[in-house]
Amino acid sequence: MMNGSHRKVAPKEKRFHGGEKMETYIQAIVNGFLMGSMYGLIAFGLTLVFGIMRVINFAHASLLMMAMFLAYGLCQVGMNPYLSLIIVVPVFFGLGYVLQRTLIERALKMEAGVREPMSVLLLTAGLLVLFENLVLLGVGPDYRTAKTIYTGATFKVSGIIIKTAWFYGFLATMISYFLLSSFLKWTWLGQAIRAAGQDRDAARLMGIDHYHIYGVAFGIGMALVGLSGTILVPFYYIHPAVGWVFGIGSFIIVILGGLGSTAGAFWGGVIIGLIESLGAQFMNATWTIVVVYGVFLAILFIRPAGLFGLKFEW
Amino acid sequence: MRFLGRGMDWVTRPQNYLGLGLVALLFLFPAFIKSMFYIQVMILVIFFAYLTSCWNILSGYAGQLSIGNAVFVMIGAYTSTLLFANLGLTPWIGMFIGGALAVFVGILVGYPTFRLRGAYFAIATIAVAEGLRKIVENTERIGKLNIGGAEGLTIPLLHHAPFQYQFVNKVYYYYIILILMFVGLYVTYRIDRSKIGYYLTAIREDEDAAQALGIDGRKYKLLAISLCAFFTALAGSFYAQLMLYIEPSGVGGLSLSIEMLLLGVIGGRGTILGPVIGAFCLVPVREMARTYIGTTYLGAHLVIYGSIMAIVILFLPHGIEEPIKKVYFGLAKRLGPAG
Repeated sequence: MMNGSHRKVAPKEKRFHGGEKMETYIQAIVNGFLMGSMYGLIAFGLTLVFGIMRVINFAHASLLMMAMFLAYGLCQVGMNPYLSLIIVVPVFFGLGYVLQRTLIERALKMEAGVREPMSVLLLTAGLLVLFENLVLLGVGPDYRTAKTIYTGATFKVSGIIIKTAWFYGFLATMISYFLLSSFLKWTWLGQAIRAAGQDRDAARLMGIDHYHIYGVAFGIGMALVGLSGTILVPFYYIHPAVGWVFGIGSFIIVILGGLGSTAGAFWGGVIIGLIESLGAQFMNATWTIVVVYGVFLAILFIRPAGLFGLKFEW
Repeated sequence: MRFLGRGMDWVTRPQNYLGLGLVALLFLFPAFIKSMFYIQVMILVIFFAYLTSCWNILSGYAGQLSIGNAVFVMIGAYTSTLLFANLGLTPWIGMFIGGALAVFVGILVGYPTFRLRGAYFAIATIAVAEGLRKIVENTERIGKLNIGGAEGLTIPLLHHAPFQYQFVNKVYYYYIILILMFVGLYVTYRIDRSKIGYYLTAIREDEDAAQALGIDGRKYKLLAISLCAFFTALAGSFYAQLMLYIEPSGVGGLSLSIEMLLLGVIGGRGTILGPVIGAFCLVPVREMARTYIGTTYLGAHLVIYGSIMAIVILFLPHGIEEPIKKVYFGLAKRLGPAG
């Protein structure tokens, strides 16, 4: 799943003495926490859309990849990667809104009475294949990395090395988490979104145009995808299939945390991040992925609704 | 005599003899076409028609979307190959052991997730398929058993050995997979026309209502995944014997699972012939694209697949089986009275 990044993070450690060993573990925990929070950010959009529309958006992975390409392109013309957010996020909000109002809404209307519409899920799976291969046709299968001032930059906090780009990613996660929850809690639009998610028909009777609301919710989900794509660009490779690296991970994360729960997505991401970085201290990085899948299956057996498996957590 | 007369009646109806003609055409195909390239393409077409038919039992009839069906292909391919390479057990028997193992894995995934609705099962199938593939990719050997890791395994060559499921002439493989496909279609037909089929459809449409009528949803879903896993694994053994080489990313990759999903949805999920129609329409497109466009435009056929899938879902929710059926019966009507 997310192995590429760890090549740089956790070098094959030799036998350390007690104190130094402790330090490597703390380092691994910090790294895992930072990376894991970004996994959570990637999963926010997915869990938000599910919570409101009961739709698993399979195109999520390819949209993340497209966000990375857009941010990468803006980097190549000399834009600061974090400044490019002012373009990427609105573009993706618009893309999400349009996608919802044109294609997904059509499929939703066909299965209006169904709680968890299957054809929408299949439609997004079709879009996933389409987007990924369109990009592949357009740019070819080369791996790209963006050279930004943040690439490889680090700073030290009491002996712990922290990657600057990862720290900013963590900040972005926290800020968007608090913005998102207060938006959903305190604004009229946010309340309308929650209402449409809880009971479509009741919301409609209260005068809420639920298709517009779905469009906004999908747009917000995509804006979050745009944000996560952008914060990945300074330190991750970019490739038409890169969405899969995070895509399957974020599916696992949303189930781990409980479908529809934002806090669950955050903690699910952190758990996966910690398994990966701590696991890499004991085993080959590819095996940590197997452990992640194993934990996922175990959770399905023990607590299938996920760790935060509440119906609505706001 | 009366029985024969009835049979003749049946045959003289246009919608029946047209169908029989198509089946006969499939069986006679190698007699007319000598080009190995086209035989190979047809083997792949039928292979995918069969795989998608198996997928259709679980995802079409029972409505449990599987995006990890390649895991059963991988289990089938590896089980028969390992048994043959290490114990000398003929793949003709090994493939059934692979099928049994696949059923076991299928139940392992289905048991916890069938309690839940919606996307849980779909995501669990991806996770299990990818997880198992990663395990196989990163394991060179278990004890003394060589399982090849990412490089894969070659099947010991014997040239022409019918009892060991190896043939020099591809035509044999053509007939094996053709018969397998008809077995798969027969199973689907039996499901479609039996109580189980109605139960599965009821579960797909409204599980609560089905449960209220006394249908044990989980039991029938587990039955569907068992059938799907078993027959899919047989295809895995077939593929190993056809290619005489297997690797985890080829037989267990996500792209194979997605291919089944695309063909099944485009063809028509929950219909007997939908998957076959999907495969016969689309796999040749892919093979032609691969041959004539080559690697310069990677993914060209998937762009076509993806757009067709989106269009089909929006405008033909029952797949392209529906319009094709209409054309077929229209043609039959023109040829004579329906009898």
